[in-house]
Amino acid sequence: MHVAIVGTGLMGRVHAEAWSHTGARITAFVGKPGTGGDILAGTYGARVATELDAVLGEADVVDVCTPTHLHAEFTLRAAAAGKHVVCEKPLALTVPDGLRMIQACRTAGVRLLVAHVLRFFPEYRLARELVARGEIGVPAVLRLSRCTFRPRKADNWYVDPARSGGMILDLMVHDFDYARWVAGDVVRVFARAAQITGQADETDHALAILTHRSGAISHVEGSWAYPAPSFHTRLEIAGAAGLIEVSSPETAAVELRLHKEQDSNQEVALPGSPLQESPYATQLRVFYEALTRGTEPPVSAEDGLAAVQIARAAIDSARAGLPVELDSSGILP
Amino acid sequence: MIRLGIMSFAHLHAEAYVENIRALPNAELVGAADEDTARGDHFARSLGVRVWPAYEDLLAQRLDGVIVCAENARHRAAVEIAVRAGVHVLCEKPLATTLADAQAMLQACGKAGVQLMVAFPMRFSAPIVEARRVLDESRLGEISCCVATNQGQNPRHHRAWFVDKRLAGGGAVIDHTAHLVDALRWFLRSEVAEVYAQTTGLLPGGGSGDVETGGLILLTFVNGVFATIDCSWSRPASYPTWGGLSMAFIGRRGVLDVDAFRQRLTVYPEDSSDTRWQYWGSDANQGMIAEFVSAIEQSRTPAVTGVDGYRALEVIVAAYESARTGRPIRLTRGEDQ
Repeated sequence: MHVAIVGTGLMGRVHAEAWSHTGARITAFVGKPGTGGDILAGTYGARVATELDAVLGEADVVDVCTPTHLHAEFTLRAAAAGKHVVCEKPLALTVPDGLRMIQACRTAGVRLLVAHVLRFFPEYRLARELVARGEIGVPAVLRLSRCTFRPRKADNWYVDPARSGGMILDLMVHDFDYARWVAGDVVRVFARAAQITGQADETDHALAILTHRSGAISHVEGSWAYPAPSFHTRLEIAGAAGLIEVSSPETAAVELRLHKEQDSNQEVALPGSPLQESPYATQLRVFYEALTRGTEPPVSAEDGLAAVQIARAAIDSARAGLPVELDSSGILP
Repeated sequence: MIRLGIMSFAHLHAEAYVENIRALPNAELVGAADEDTARGDHFARSLGVRVWPAYEDLLAQRLDGVIVCAENARHRAAVEIAVRAGVHVLCEKPLATTLADAQAMLQACGKAGVQLMVAFPMRFSAPIVEARRVLDESRLGEISCCVATNQGQNPRHHRAWFVDKRLAGGGAVIDHTAHLVDALRWFLRSEVAEVYAQTTGLLPGGGSGDVETGGLILLTFVNGVFATIDCSWSRPASYPTWGGLSMAFIGRRGVLDVDAFRQRLTVYPEDSSDTRWQYWGSDANQGMIAEFVSAIEQSRTPAVTGVDGYRALEVIVAAYESARTGRPIRLTRGEDQ
């Protein structure tokens, strides 16, 4: 199986490393000149190109790791060429874009695998498994929190709402998807957002209350307003028969403390814990199996779209100051 | 010597207040009275407190002040009896279950010239006081929002009336929202402008199903700061303690985390799996009772007043309306407050 990775930034690099643990071969990196594609190509023995079309012929799978606003364009082109698609989260910048992507892949008869990597983080996966096994009864109140610093890339597309959707779509989408995975469809969203450390218009801290169809409620917090280099995540699921909680500061298995604390020069932080297989590698191994053996991964393209829909509802709610009602049953044909 | 009485042992804190009063050099616990004679007798024996059969008998003992620990819906009646006897009142939170009752209590106390204090012990919690001091130093910069929790075990294990809507006025929302509303008003020096709330009955122990057991509330203050409160009874019976209270303030220069009950030992017994947290921080209730006593002694307004209790109740009432309608509720305040 041959993979062409589009996008040579942080996620392109992370996906390349993860693919290298599978039986797939990375044949090409597609990116703007001078964005590190050469180095990646050298590392993985692949070609580098500036246009997807130039490398599409030899690929079976296109892995879209571009900024979010380009997900739809590259997915549609890959699908039109009959290639399977792996797409970084969030699936799309907008719900109509996501719908078009799903329809195009269906029409072309190719898979659309959305990289909601949180579903492959062992603590999140285990918590959801315990819930599914009924160990804490019906989920009732969820608290999900994801707090880090403002991305600081040279071409900082993350903080540009036109390219990333902003913090709510880029970061909180992880926990929106997770809340829905644990407690089911969301019917109402109310959110408030603040701009604290960045420029006007750039939400960097938001709080959202989700109401699930089941009657469960979720508190979701996302932040790019925490001091660097922290990346704190918290999970709490209170059910009718028990409680599960985990937080990254309390489960940090290795902690380095220096006499002179220094901020790292990381551009964007990723959460992580020392593991034999990283969640990114687990994710792409599962996707590889899905593509080679036809198995179903734990996240569908429709799940990816539903997460975008919740994030968009949160953005709209924060802007209008009113709750947004969702009819998630009516979103897809 | 300030002579104090306790009206009712319905609320759990009454037991703690007995010890708090006894620890004060300038106060004397004259006794208590309880509408529930069996409960009154029980605490009379276990706490060594003299208990009178009726509130009026207790109030005939030339008291200076009373602490009202009746069921929420019975606060008004108890306070009115106390006011008729001309004694100062420290009332357990929430002040009442309806704004009409709360209004009547404020008016009755005002007319009689007695002080009405509401039991918001967090104003006297050392970590909370320290956090307010840090915020006042402006080191965090302008505050944008706050994430607050006051989650706990279902209190029905201690007193069944907490899940009886007629007596409690509701469930988790009325039980666990007031402390944080008061603390946030105190920290931010701003009033609540809007309330959004969603509740759930999926957590166990909501009585016959008529009270909510979980709730998430999003407040927006007049100064633009917004804050969430998790008031859920989401701590299972096996949780190492009753619950907790925390706040995280997000400011322009960083983040301030406050946990009022993190000063604790973790104890693992050999003969059971019941890990427990044993609190070793300062007793906030002690500071609160001391303030009530010194306000009486010095004939001054206490640091927490009936109006503070009324403001917290306004938010609770709006939260129920928001949960019912699915809409945010704007608070419109009457001139009389």
